[in-house]
Amino acid sequence: MNEIVKTTNLTKRYKGAAAVSGLNMSVKEGRIYGFLGPNGAGKTTTLKMLLSLVRPTAGEIEIMGRRMNAENRIEILRGIGSLIESPSFYGHLTGEENLKILQTLLGVPKRNIDKVLRIVRLENQRGKKASAYSLGMKQRLGLAGALLSFPKLLILDEPTNGLDPSGIQEMRGLIKSLPKEYGMTVIVSSHLLSEIDQTAEDVGIISNGRMMYQGALDDLHRVDETKSLEEIFLDLTERERSL
Amino acid sequence: MIKLLKCEFMKTRRRYVFVTALVITAAMLAWIYPRHRSADLLRLGWMANLYELPLINSIFMPLLSIIVSSRLCDIEHKGAMLKQLAVTEKRGQIYDAKLLYGLAIMMFCVGLSWGMTIAFGYIAGFEGGPPIRLYLLYLLLTAAPTIAVYIFQHTLSLCFKNQAVTFFTGAIGTFFGTFSMFLPQLPWLRGSLIWGYYGALSFVGLFDWSKDDRYKLAHFDVIGVDWKFFAALIFICAAIYIIGREIFKRKEL
Repeated sequence: MNEIVKTTNLTKRYKGAAAVSGLNMSVKEGRIYGFLGPNGAGKTTTLKMLLSLVRPTAGEIEIMGRRMNAENRIEILRGIGSLIESPSFYGHLTGEENLKILQTLLGVPKRNIDKVLRIVRLENQRGKKASAYSLGMKQRLGLAGALLSFPKLLILDEPTNGLDPSGIQEMRGLIKSLPKEYGMTVIVSSHLLSEIDQTAEDVGIISNGRMMYQGALDDLHRVDETKSLEEIFLDLTERERSL
Repeated sequence: MIKLLKCEFMKTRRRYVFVTALVITAAMLAWIYPRHRSADLLRLGWMANLYELPLINSIFMPLLSIIVSSRLCDIEHKGAMLKQLAVTEKRGQIYDAKLLYGLAIMMFCVGLSWGMTIAFGYIAGFEGGPPIRLYLLYLLLTAAPTIAVYIFQHTLSLCFKNQAVTFFTGAIGTFFGTFSMFLPQLPWLRGSLIWGYYGALSFVGLFDWSKDDRYKLAHFDVIGVDWKFFAALIFICAAIYIIGREIFKRKEL
């Protein structure tokens, strides 16, 4: 299986302190990659580096087989949908107007707006101002924006943050359907083990900016069959903290 | 760039940026014109305008710049949209499109206030006709500092989430810029602040005014434009644009 994302020794330092340290990430095409780690582990910084929102201090990023540089950056990134930290939207515009702006920028067909609104189940709320949306609806609008170009790669940073249990369930179902229905690869970050356990096929565990484990989720279950997944996760993250 | 400009237009729907700009321009005109003018001032009207207006502009144009730039950029911060835009568009182009859109509004207001100044002159019954060449020069010398101030405010509004930074810096600058016009013996002060260039580039002087006779014997004359100041302003404008754009391009989102 091809690697759609590959990082080599990816590092980010802020005033000498490493937020991400020598990260080698490998995401296989057509899979859901769960990027797991405690709060402040470096997940968002890593994802922001993939999207060129943050400049790496060192290391390389390869996306869709192309090494990213200043010249090809935008071209590569246009093939990626993303939802980083909080959903992005203009509160004074309706959901549909928000998507219209993104559709104009991306140069994709207008019919994609209807399609994504249907996918995230916002078609009946399209005329409502985004500021009047509930948190779950805002999150779904953010996801609709990320899906608008039906990208090959979707990067979602803690997409279930702040959602109620039914919203979480719904978002989970939606994420799981994307590779099968649209052939997308999804990177989804979370600090919740249960979240990743129920969504992802592959997992990368990061702690203190270092990759502690990377591989199939099933293999992680087999690391120590006497321990629960939670215990394995805690072992891995605690090990890094004690180093 | 065209699609970015089109999006800027779409984004400002229901933000009433243009209406706000028109209201401020109207307030500026309402402050200047509906007042009693003596026969002497009606005689001197056209030149008196060119003498007085740079002071008024030094207050209202920076104020307008603060409000327009802040209203255009604040929507990106509030909705965390910059990180979305920066993934698909070149950052320099995001900076340029927003700047162009804001400058178009500003220049419309500068042009409108210029046109209304002439219209009000006719309505008030100023003697003779307006000296068109001088009024065109005045238009250029109003637009140039406004562009510089707007680029500065635009950069602040785009780079800082907290728009209080923009307001505070703009207000302080406006205060010192206007204040510098009352200190003609310190031309360097006008030239050292972008807000002071409304005064530094004013080219009409008042002569023979006295407390007793007021405007009876007074006359306004062209004292000439200090083109060194104009060249300095162009240089400052370019520097603010290049540095501001670069800061925005390097900013981590």
